[in-house]
Amino acid sequence: CATPPPPPPEAAGRRWSGRLALTVHSDPPQRANALFELRGDPQAGELLLSSPLGQALAHVGWDAGGAWLQRPGAAREPYPDMAVLTETLTGAALPLAALFDWLQGRPTEAPGWARIHHDAATGRLHAQRTAPTPLVDLRLTWTPSP
Amino acid sequence: FTGARGQATGLAQFEAFVVNVRQGQATFTQTVTAPPRQGEPARVRTSRGEFSFLRPDRFRLHYTQPFEQLIVADGQTLWLWDPDLNQVSARAQAQALANTPAALLASAADLRAVRQVFTLSEGEPRDGLAWVEVTPKSREGQIQRMAIGWRDGALVALDVLDGLGQRSELRFGPWRTQGLTAAAFRFQPPPGAEVLRP
Repeated sequence: CATPPPPPPEAAGRRWSGRLALTVHSDPPQRANALFELRGDPQAGELLLSSPLGQALAHVGWDAGGAWLQRPGAAREPYPDMAVLTETLTGAALPLAALFDWLQGRPTEAPGWARIHHDAATGRLHAQRTAPTPLVDLRLTWTPSP
Repeated sequence: FTGARGQATGLAQFEAFVVNVRQGQATFTQTVTAPPRQGEPARVRTSRGEFSFLRPDRFRLHYTQPFEQLIVADGQTLWLWDPDLNQVSARAQAQALANTPAALLASAADLRAVRQVFTLSEGEPRDGLAWVEVTPKSREGQIQRMAIGWRDGALVALDVLDGLGQRSELRFGPWRTQGLTAAAFRFQPPPGAEVLRP
């Protein structure tokens, strides 16, 4: 598999690792439990998702030109942006800009999303998207990497 | 059959393990090395815990460091409990585990069954271990290849290279191979946790 080019230096700096649980209450419901490694910012960055047992599930990247998704043993798939990519990957478009703010403790509002519990000091987030349907439940726990 | 240092070959030890070792419990250390990046040092995550299994279809993988996470296969259901997320995820075991490393170790009936899904070959002895190289026959799965390391009949190492170039290396401590019952592989969701059922 091709080694992806690094994001631009200023985006490469910030990095978070942790676990996520995402449930989209569609019919049938869609669920994901994964370890994640996130780096960069809403303009450019990367996300590596791994199974709880340590196998990589998906590698995602984005910049001003769009987004890409690489799955094990498959060609890289281009997407116009991260909203379309996350909708395809998980069943729900995730609010990337708000996520970066939430990870850094900023109480940013994201249309349709409510933060039920948010504590960046202990690295915990529980948020739900109530509009549009279906209901989406997102739980994150993380530790900022050194 | 014998390999280096008079030790049985990896394949012989793997066969004996699958057929004769009906249960086991050991601590483990897991090192996960993220896919390599141009001009950057390798990013490594280390975790610790305990792995136990009871053939034919039960196992328990309890991560204790750097965070707690419990994975239990009770024969029907695969449970994932994450205390920090306060959530239990339950899935049908058969689908969730098909062809995973855990299932390979804990559930294979014999090497003939394993060979239906994987190509097995004797690896080069290294680190004082005899090795078996394991390559999935299907190219779509998450795993590129695995290597299982043995010393004097004991399972010591499980290395997995996945389809995105991430490497997981498990090293097991001494094994206890008796005293486990099905009760040790039951899981009861803790009160107050959100439970997502299949």
